[in-house]
Amino acid sequence: MIRRIRLVLLVITTVLLQTSVLSNLKVAGVVPDVVLLGVLGVAYRSGPETGAIFGFAAGLTLDLFLRTPFGLSALAFSLTGFLLGVLQASILRTSKWMIPILGGVGCLVGNLLFRGFGTLVGEEPLLSGHSIRVILVTVACDAVLAPVMFLFAGWAAGEGATPRSRVG
Amino acid sequence: MAVSRRASRGRSVVVLLVLTAITLITLDQRGTGTIDTVRSWARDIKAPIEDAANNVTSPVSDWFDGITRAGSLKHENATLRKQLSQARGDEARNRNAARENKRLTKLLHLSFAADVPSIASRVVDGAPSNFENTIVIDRGTAHGVAKGMPVVSGDGLVGRVTEVSKDRATVLLLTDREFGVGALLQDSGEIGVANGIAGRKTLSLDFIDAAAKVKKGETVVTSGREGGRFPPGIPIARVSSVQKHAGDLQQSIALAPLVDFDRLEFVKVLRWPTTSGG
Repeated sequence: MIRRIRLVLLVITTVLLQTSVLSNLKVAGVVPDVVLLGVLGVAYRSGPETGAIFGFAAGLTLDLFLRTPFGLSALAFSLTGFLLGVLQASILRTSKWMIPILGGVGCLVGNLLFRGFGTLVGEEPLLSGHSIRVILVTVACDAVLAPVMFLFAGWAAGEGATPRSRVG
Repeated sequence: MAVSRRASRGRSVVVLLVLTAITLITLDQRGTGTIDTVRSWARDIKAPIEDAANNVTSPVSDWFDGITRAGSLKHENATLRKQLSQARGDEARNRNAARENKRLTKLLHLSFAADVPSIASRVVDGAPSNFENTIVIDRGTAHGVAKGMPVVSGDGLVGRVTEVSKDRATVLLLTDREFGVGALLQDSGEIGVANGIAGRKTLSLDFIDAAAKVKKGETVVTSGREGGRFPPGIPIARVSSVQKHAGDLQQSIALAPLVDFDRLEFVKVLRWPTTSGG
């Protein structure tokens, strides 16, 4: 129960942070994907299934404040959370660079899925110069923010939760 | 055995979530009113939190803005000082007109669309996503704002209202790829369509005949045509480049918007079309 409350708080906090605070503090014209970073952090701590469910909930909440089709972020974030959870389960040894790398790669995958599915429903083409530039700058920002967001997500996912490893 | 069962359940959950998301996307694409209503409620609930966040972050964003724009601000400062001394010289020759223009601009007493009723509002948020060119203003249906209404600043056209809730409205900026407006070149009288371009701060002016004489620096205003979605005469942009290629039916014209979207703080929503049909 406590864990669920924390996860709900994480969703609300990251969505408000991204849509109300960071939208006014852009870096090189882009807004860091703190919601997606939260999803990646939860998936890293709790595994693919929780990552997928949390990604769906966080994405759906973010979709309330976007102009893109309702459900698009939910779709992209759910798949990204699941994929990161699967990837994390196969990692046998972690290092201090793992989190920024996972944050950057996870955000790259999340943005590509978002833009890719978005292209299918009439949004800006995935391979436009603008899309590519925005994605690359966002990935760099997200890699820097990943350690902080993963810490916060780890707290929300449950105190003492350790990254799930593959059961041999 | 337990691992494979867990993995299988995980995949089932993901499939269910994906199907749910696709269903929601399809419903939204079909224009279900329920989703719009829910979005409207969410914006209204977020509004007071947004206002509180703005009060806290605006000094920080000003500081951040100052750091990231330090180089351009220095250059702009030098340019403005030069312009100020030139303006002082002009003021001596035409003092009354210069003072009145400065006062009008400061008060957002528009020199265009002056007979159109308007709603003054403040920009409270930028775009929440990196793939939208929108702003959020602090006026909504409770103040008379409706979808489709044009939005202007003292410098010219900003965009149009695309979503509105009780206390908030989302404005699609004219630099967005989905934005288009009937445009009139003030000097040559040619009529075309000004369109936003994804990822750029410039616009394209389309459907201008290849034989038309278009000058760099020429002002472009709204034509007031295409069903009267915008009142005529609102400044949009200036021509920044003109290219003609042999055999082309139209010219390639780039426009630089008159509004500085990075510094937008106060705007006006025009109640257009007016109920009197004006």
